[in-house]
Amino acid sequence: MKWAATALVVLFSSALLLAQAGRGAIAGRITTDQGDPAAGVTVQAKDAAGKFTSVVASGNGEFRLANLPAGTYEIVVPQMGLRTARYAQPNVVIEAGRTVTLNIRLMPNNFGILGDDEAFLQIYNKYKDLKGATPRTSDGHPDFSGMWLANVDPNPTPAQMLPWAQQEWERRRDRAFEGMPTSRCLATDPTLTLPVFYKIVQTRTLLIHLFEQDPHYRQAFIDGREHPKDLDPTWLGHTIGRWEKDTLVLDTVGLNDKSWLLQATWLPHTEMLHIVERYRRPDLAHLNIDVTIEDPASFVTPVERHVTWLSTPGEELFETICPENNKFLQNSAFK
Amino acid sequence: MKEVFAGAVLAIAMTVAAAAPIAAHHSFAAEFDITRPVTLVGSVTKIEWTNPHAYLFIDVKDPQTGAVTNWEIEMGSPNGLTRLGWTRTMLKPGDGVTVEGSMGRNKPNLANARSVVMTATGKKLGAASSEGAQ
Repeated sequence: MKWAATALVVLFSSALLLAQAGRGAIAGRITTDQGDPAAGVTVQAKDAAGKFTSVVASGNGEFRLANLPAGTYEIVVPQMGLRTARYAQPNVVIEAGRTVTLNIRLMPNNFGILGDDEAFLQIYNKYKDLKGATPRTSDGHPDFSGMWLANVDPNPTPAQMLPWAQQEWERRRDRAFEGMPTSRCLATDPTLTLPVFYKIVQTRTLLIHLFEQDPHYRQAFIDGREHPKDLDPTWLGHTIGRWEKDTLVLDTVGLNDKSWLLQATWLPHTEMLHIVERYRRPDLAHLNIDVTIEDPASFVTPVERHVTWLSTPGEELFETICPENNKFLQNSAFK
Repeated sequence: MKEVFAGAVLAIAMTVAAAAPIAAHHSFAAEFDITRPVTLVGSVTKIEWTNPHAYLFIDVKDPQTGAVTNWEIEMGSPNGLTRLGWTRTMLKPGDGVTVEGSMGRNKPNLANARSVVMTATGKKLGAASSEGAQ
């Protein structure tokens, strides 16, 4: 079941004539749950055909989507990091020559333990205007090295699970997802799609991800080798990569069935899991990653996620030793 | 569980439509109850600046009985708090604070923190994410 954002929504129309016949607009202000302007968040208008028009809210949280063909839209504010819940307001009618006002109050996604992800928007806004050309290595490939602030897919499509997987997912849901491996200081999601910081170190033969959850690194071999035969299944598996022009295609197998996939979803899977990631860096600031998650024993069709990471060159990773003081098991309501 | 504690000055029921509250490290809903918000006014006795969560301990005095209860307040990781501008020495034993958060489910006198305000200065530690983004 999806998290449905509780939001304060004020809808009214103003008789503002627009220049183009047959078109209207939507405008408003976005605030956080604490009432502060939600600068930098993206607002999307999804039409009946599924086409998105989007705009980024200004420093005072105001937004305006103009020149929308008259019709019925779903207004969506994607989740930002772990901090905000995805907001969706269906059935917003845009009339020709009128501006609909929609004021949006975002709600916290994780109920906000202080410090968990409160800084996401602050850090995002610090770097969102970073501009420049794609950096390249001496051998001409795009260079993905650096600190990245990851984010979730703004428009995730629900996974279609086979019956056993659906039942297992419902069991997890009914236990409030208390069994998340990271709550036991076990490994993070092998799809590497959590909206947290990742540091990439790229050499001619390796692409290494460093991160603040166990096991703290993933190495992808980009030296032409194949996956070994008869891999012992592990939490993050075995990753190889190859270049397709400016796209680095990473391929991961050899995964155990213990990990939970995709933040806010936490899908079960089997050892047949196969993850393909396609990395592109279209400019200095952005890393576009298309993730395909295949497991014919768990999903009806492959699950896809499309994410954009933001370069954050002034940030740094911190040491994170999870078992140092993990009180979750003693504090959890589930035994 | 006794819901009227020392120093609890506000408890507003919130309407929540969530089924899958997720935090970075663990499930929020497994440990805390968003429908039982709490405000605690007290003085700091200890800080555990540790992973995966930092903990703030505060003594809270019941204004009626005078009884003092030590509360354990879960916060995010030192990483997240540092990125919000906290330091491990920002709060010291004896400092007065007001903490807003939610009650723990399985342990008395456990809560999480959504905000911490220093009594002496009125300064809100770890302000909301968009503050400072102007």
